[in-house]
Amino acid sequence: MQTPKIQRVIAIMWPSFLMAGAATILFFTAFDPQALLMDTRFADLSRLGAYTIGFFLFWALTAASCLLTCYFQRPCAFRGEPEKQA
Amino acid sequence: MTNKTSKSSKGQKPAGATEMAFYAKHEKIYPRKVTGIFAFWRASGVFVLLGLYYAVPWLSWDGRQAVLLDLPARKFYIFGLTLWPQDFFYVTALMIIAALSLFFFTAVAGRLWCGYACPQTVWTEAFLWIERQIEGDRLKQMKRDQAPWTLNKLLVKGSKHAVWIVFALYTGFTFVGYFTPIKGLWEKLLVWDMGGWEAFWIFFYSFATWGNAGFMREQVCIYMCPYARFQSAMFDKDTLIISYDEKRGEPRGSRKKNTDPKEKGLGDCIDCTMCVQVCPTGIDIRNGLQYQCIACAACVDVCDQVMDKMGYPKGLVRYTTEHALQGGKTHILRPRLFVYAGLLLTVMGILVYSMATRIPLELDVIRDRIALYQENDQGLIENVYLLKVMNLDTHERKYELSVSGIPDLQLDTGGKSIVVQPGEVIELPVRLAADPTDLKKRSTEVEFHLQAVGSDKLKVNETARFLGPVSR
Ligand code: SF4
Ligand code: SF4
Repeated sequence: MQTPKIQRVIAIMWPSFLMAGAATILFFTAFDPQALLMDTRFADLSRLGAYTIGFFLFWALTAASCLLTCYFQRPCAFRGEPEKQA
Repeated sequence: MTNKTSKSSKGQKPAGATEMAFYAKHEKIYPRKVTGIFAFWRASGVFVLLGLYYAVPWLSWDGRQAVLLDLPARKFYIFGLTLWPQDFFYVTALMIIAALSLFFFTAVAGRLWCGYACPQTVWTEAFLWIERQIEGDRLKQMKRDQAPWTLNKLLVKGSKHAVWIVFALYTGFTFVGYFTPIKGLWEKLLVWDMGGWEAFWIFFYSFATWGNAGFMREQVCIYMCPYARFQSAMFDKDTLIISYDEKRGEPRGSRKKNTDPKEKGLGDCIDCTMCVQVCPTGIDIRNGLQYQCIACAACVDVCDQVMDKMGYPKGLVRYTTEHALQGGKTHILRPRLFVYAGLLLTVMGILVYSMATRIPLELDVIRDRIALYQENDQGLIENVYLLKVMNLDTHERKYELSVSGIPDLQLDTGGKSIVVQPGEVIELPVRLAADPTDLKKRSTEVEFHLQAVGSDKLKVNETARFLGPVSR
């Protein structure tokens, strides 16, 4: 049975969203963005801005990983089986 | 579960087909309005929870916002309590407690959370209510959706979305108000002068509310909710579930009022499909317990009304347990509950204990890494340290510093008194000096004692190494 599109989109965007949230919380509990960015070009960025950007960076990363999982999950040909053209 | 019940009724596809269609393409669900005792409880739940959500950020405590997870300032205020990033442990413990309580309640009462308290349910109910006020009940909505676009349809749909969006925006605003002071945010909102990030999150959250409560609805429960996936692991045969009494209801069939069902060989289910029409997740409870059922009890309410009208006893669809359905007894006290309760009490105990013994003061001692030690002009060995003092209390504090570990150890703080504002960290270079004849080893342990003036309990100790030449 084909998984509905919405479910496939959710399978990529949603777990990654949750994990990005968790990662953001852990990361910024341990590190104060203002201390991290002090000597960089981004020294003017507010904490809220740093959290936001951090969150979306994490999300991009985790979404990429979910995407790969979904991609590799597709059944692949067995040994000796000629490749099917999708 | 049962398959013989799937020979469903008029206007309905057989269960298998519905399921296939459901997976292939989403069909919009139009839950019919319900009244009844459980609808009342659900409405009360919505009222209380939404009321709390919108009201809490406006409460004050000690001249500041009572509940404020102040992300820009990196501290959480929860009434009298102030938490810092160092207190992450408490937040973790609170989350574990929340999860364990959910396990416990699920084991006892099934998906009580889903039906009455989950934000997804609560906001969906609110959105459904708005939709009904503007669009009318199920039949009207279905007709309108099938009808071609007219000015009237546009107006009705437009006003529904306008109200939804305003409601969602206020929800988003309130959400951000938990993380940055809401009063200031409101003032800035009025003159449209919010920080870009605040504005971004208000829109992001509003959009999510509008999408989840207006469109996604039951699909959130079915595809997105992790709890929905694993809740059945907490179920057993004594868990409260919503169930159709198959023995009593089958064989189902329509009939005239006042005919004796037994004569016609029928059960109590008159196959009116009301339970299907009210279901927010679009399932037929008569097919048995399904993963999609969020236990909202709408079908219970509506079926009871049907039974009343027919003059049959209520409870054809009811809260029950699998044991009870099989004619057995429901055991409330069972090992599973004791395990969950035990875990819950343990974590709560740990939390309360550590909260009660929490010392809102932190001291870090960093040795100067450049010079190991120096000899001063009096022939004493000197070590230099950098002290970091963090006041986690809610008031300004003055501290006294002392050291021990080596006889006649001298402490030099540069003559300054140590005063720290709440939530501040100060760095304090200090110098220790000891007579080389007192040093027995290359490295001796010394201890710094920091004691708040005016509070016996507010003290911390921190050890450090004192380096020096070994006296011969
Ligand atoms: S299934 Fe999940 S999202 Fe749906 S009501 Fe239950 S807890 Fe909420
Ligand atoms: S089957 Fe009944 S209790 Fe379950 S979701 Fe549908 S209406 Fe609610």
